[in-house]
Amino acid sequence: MEYALLQAVFLPLLLSPIAYIIGRKIGPTPAMWFTFGILLYATILIILATLSGTTEEHYPWTEQFGEFGFLLDGLASPFAIMIYVLSTILVLYSKPYMIHRFHEQYEEEQHEITSTSGNSTIIESSSLSNYVNAKSGLYFALYLVFAMGMLGTVLSTNLIEFYVFFEIMLIPGFFLVALWGAGPRRKIGLMFLLWTHAGAVVLLLGFLMIGLTIGSFDFADIQESEIPQDILMLSAIAISIGLGVKLAVFMFHIWLPWVHGSAPTPISALLSPAMIGIGAYGIFRLIVEFLPNTFADLSIWFHIWGLVTMIYGGAMALMQDDIKRLLAYSSISQMGYILFGIGSMSVLGLSGAEMMYVTHALGKGILFMMAGIIIVKVGTRNISQLGGLAGKMPITAVCAVIGALTIMGVPPTSGFMGEWTLFYGALETAIEDGSTVRAVTFGLGLVATALTMSYILWMLKRVFFGKLPEHLENVKEGSWYMTAPMMVLAGFTIVLGIYPDIFFNQIIPYMSGVIGV
Amino acid sequence: MAAEVLGLPFEVGAASAWLVWILPFIAALIMPGIGKISKHATGYAAVGFALMSAISAVSLLPMALEAHEIHDQISWIDSIGLKAGVLADPLSIIMANVVGWISFLIMIYSTGYMKGDKSITRFWFWMLFFIGSMQLIVLSDNLLQVFFGWEGVGLASYALISFWYRDKKKDHVGTEGRTVLGLLDYYSPTHAGMKAFIMTKVGDVMMIAGMLLIFLFAGTFGFRELMHDTSWATTMSAQGLLVPAFILLFGGAVGKSAQFPLNEWLLEAMTGPTAVSALIHAATMVKAGVFLVMRLAPLVFALSAAGILADQFFEVILLVGATTALLLGLQGMVNSEIKKVLAYSTGSQIGYMMMVLGIAGLSQQFVNGYTAGFFHLISHAMFKASLFMAAGSLLHVVGSRFMTDMGGLRKNMKKTYVFMWAAGLGLMGAPFITTGFWSKDSIFGAVYTSGHEWAIPIFAIAVLTAVITAFYTTRMLGLVFYGSKSKHIQKMEEEGHHIHEASLSMWVPYGILAVLTIAIGLVGLSFEGGLHELFTDYLEDSFGIHSVHNEIENSILPEFLDGINPVALAASLSAFAIGTGLGYVFYIGRWVDPVKFVNSNIFFYAIHKVILNRFYLNAIVYWCFVVAPLWLSRGVFRYFEKTVIDYGMNNGLQKAVGWSAKVVQGTQTGVTQSYLFVFGAGLLFVVLILLI
Repeated sequence: MEYALLQAVFLPLLLSPIAYIIGRKIGPTPAMWFTFGILLYATILIILATLSGTTEEHYPWTEQFGEFGFLLDGLASPFAIMIYVLSTILVLYSKPYMIHRFHEQYEEEQHEITSTSGNSTIIESSSLSNYVNAKSGLYFALYLVFAMGMLGTVLSTNLIEFYVFFEIMLIPGFFLVALWGAGPRRKIGLMFLLWTHAGAVVLLLGFLMIGLTIGSFDFADIQESEIPQDILMLSAIAISIGLGVKLAVFMFHIWLPWVHGSAPTPISALLSPAMIGIGAYGIFRLIVEFLPNTFADLSIWFHIWGLVTMIYGGAMALMQDDIKRLLAYSSISQMGYILFGIGSMSVLGLSGAEMMYVTHALGKGILFMMAGIIIVKVGTRNISQLGGLAGKMPITAVCAVIGALTIMGVPPTSGFMGEWTLFYGALETAIEDGSTVRAVTFGLGLVATALTMSYILWMLKRVFFGKLPEHLENVKEGSWYMTAPMMVLAGFTIVLGIYPDIFFNQIIPYMSGVIGV
Repeated sequence: MAAEVLGLPFEVGAASAWLVWILPFIAALIMPGIGKISKHATGYAAVGFALMSAISAVSLLPMALEAHEIHDQISWIDSIGLKAGVLADPLSIIMANVVGWISFLIMIYSTGYMKGDKSITRFWFWMLFFIGSMQLIVLSDNLLQVFFGWEGVGLASYALISFWYRDKKKDHVGTEGRTVLGLLDYYSPTHAGMKAFIMTKVGDVMMIAGMLLIFLFAGTFGFRELMHDTSWATTMSAQGLLVPAFILLFGGAVGKSAQFPLNEWLLEAMTGPTAVSALIHAATMVKAGVFLVMRLAPLVFALSAAGILADQFFEVILLVGATTALLLGLQGMVNSEIKKVLAYSTGSQIGYMMMVLGIAGLSQQFVNGYTAGFFHLISHAMFKASLFMAAGSLLHVVGSRFMTDMGGLRKNMKKTYVFMWAAGLGLMGAPFITTGFWSKDSIFGAVYTSGHEWAIPIFAIAVLTAVITAFYTTRMLGLVFYGSKSKHIQKMEEEGHHIHEASLSMWVPYGILAVLTIAIGLVGLSFEGGLHELFTDYLEDSFGIHSVHNEIENSILPEFLDGINPVALAASLSAFAIGTGLGYVFYIGRWVDPVKFVNSNIFFYAIHKVILNRFYLNAIVYWCFVVAPLWLSRGVFRYFEKTVIDYGMNNGLQKAVGWSAKVVQGTQTGVTQSYLFVFGAGLLFVVLILLI
């Protein structure tokens, strides 16, 4: 199908004002279905394009930057599919959650108005439903742009194009956090913007170094040209750091717990698995594929950095009481797994790392939705105030257990398929190189899985099992809008865990091509 | 038997082998649906499917007796070149039958035991999942698929141990308020489930490392493929990785079978419903580890016969098994909770099986130890399932897990009394009439005649453990059924409770198994002979392991005991006599008061205390792997994450761009229009860039 990728990327952007108008004039439900429709259509386009093999589209752009293109190959398609599948499903989940959030905020603002009387006339005059309509219109518009930014990044074929999309994600991301986050949301939104922007600037520096040296920003030209070794190393390091901030690896991770803890839950569920993993995509595409020799030098550092992140994120997750912050630290740890896999420098290790992205998207998506349901239905996010909820919300509990198993890497969920291939890769390189350092990191990596298991199981125990506190006697199960998306993802993770070839068929040939060269 | 069905090649035997493990999974999946229609129907459906699975297993039995094997594969992960498959050889077929039928009886028992439970659908789901996972382990033809079942049983045990997730006081194990080294020795069901899952995960981590090592060199996970071409083993052996890889695999078995040093989860696993305990201890879970060793041991032995030495592998198994047998046996002597005594006993008996499998690999006559181990697995499965179910009845009736709350029950519960004695005799190894005697005797024989340098000390440990086993079994029976009624029971009777026999669906299953323990025991020697013959053929056909024939010369025993080692026989007879005799003195005849006896001198008192505190192993594990890491994490969180990273780096970056922050903050007016304006401007900027 012609223009399929172009449509998939730009339709959400172009139609976002309409979503805003629908929301504002009619109401949240039509806006939701409209957004859902657009994203569903785009998702189908992506899936069809994937099924027909590697798809490429090129459009003329500027002299300076080169071509504006889209490429959906074995590397990009799992990322693209997961980003849009998650985005599509989370639209449904957004409605009840965001309406709940708007109501909360309306009351807050009413309260502020009455206490500082007569300062603002706009909100005072508008009724609750108008307020909700306006906000939900804005929400869905921003949501569409956010999703589109993520997809654009993983389909880009040009460094500048990559950078532009990379930054586009930030704008709606910032607004979504700053407008509807929890806690000191503006400060946190700003933190998000600052950190990821600072990362992006470093990334841009790396891009410029490469681009100006070879005189082209097209991906296709990078591979063929010869770049001086020192510039290559410097730019690779700059790119790694820039993407490392996005991945929230150890030392660059601090923004993540704040942002993912604060963001509205459907956005956390998109940010955490889908967005930060794009950092991993960047490393695959820019470093592993285009700078293989530099990658060979850097891989051991990725490996160790990943290991440290795995353990550090897991240990910090043990200490959290806020359920969303716990999941955020867990995401840091999971990104460590991905980086660990990338550092393994073997076909199955890299494939496992990409599979980890997919599987983390599914598992963490489910767990964030679980957190959102608890926030809406119970009204607290502190684990110490929860307990024994399994009997009150059985569907949520079952899905949460499946999500937890996915994160822990227990078969038959997809987590296991990511994990064993990843560790196999690590072992393979360790044995082939006869490297003691790699053998030790392999062992410690396996130990880290036990740590992952501990914090996840402990969280489940404290949230769903044990005695039911008295104040939770009247808790109800979440609505279908909230539980059905979880169930879809839960089903998907099991199907993928039993039959991983759905993605391995794409990933492994690509990785063998890259490593084989 | 091959035929065409729907255009696909179809073999009846292969289909049965698939069905054995698929049926329970299908049943588990439809269970929530049935539960929606009628809670009552779930029990029938679950038992029905368990029966169908067991029947599929039986239909394979003729093939096993002819030493045929079915190896059927389908494509699975093509991109890595992995296939899924079933491997039904005599080992797995007999195991599948043991698992299938014992599970079936436990399922029948559960219909009575779990009657009226609100979450019965969830119970059946996990029980079926448990059985399915175990049969998957048994019938898989490759390690990766085994690992699916392996984690499946782990998951099911987690879910079932913490089945009563409300953590009510009556579902806890341990004594409230009792501490060991400053840590509470009192566990809730959800804690116990978590403990079991994480502790076995430690074993699983080792197992996966071993699996991956083998896959790296062999390029396959398949058991038969590994045997077919052994060049991988030569390479691995040259690099010194062969033995570590197999020991790592054995690490998985150590975790799952609760062997030392990963044994501590087994005790707390008693928080689950008793039917679950029976399943874990007799048919699934802990037997998975033994089965894995039985899968791998012939392979390793065949390799060593081909000149690739792997003796350390068997030595590790031997030492772990012997240590566990003694360590857990000792602890069984002092505990006052009936299920805990049985749990310790299981660990100890599994230690026996490991021990004899280890010695098998170190002796010339591999088949002797191998048969002995498997025979003991079968007989243990029968009497332990029976004992657990009977204990469940006692708990049901008395409403307490402590044996000190029972006593004098032999008149009230006649059937349970008789059956528990029969099964208990099996565990004690009562001479000539129980399976336990013959299987234990063949273990003694295999150890004694192995010719290995450690044979004598190991033999001594085995005999000592047998004495201990006979003692604690007698103690358990004595405390429960003899003496006068405890205060607890007297109180119950005063309140108008009538202590009576358990219901039909409960006593029949353990009755059957108790009778079988005796019935097979009566023909135990020929049963063992048949098994021996079968495995001799199996090992020769599949692994090329020839058994060495050496006639026992100058046998002083009558002809019907031919093949029995006189020393082993004498040892097992005296072990039974001493253990039971001591138990009788203290607990049935009650000539000596055990409490006074222990307190009579400081030495006995100290030993008793150390054993009662589980040799402090559990507390040490908690201090090292729970308390210390949490303490460390808290320190790092407070003094590094919150200070260096959060206040240092984060604020540093913010201050560095503080001026821009102020500018941006100026735009935070809270008015939608101004946000929209910014948003529009951003869009415009993007469009402009795109159009340059």
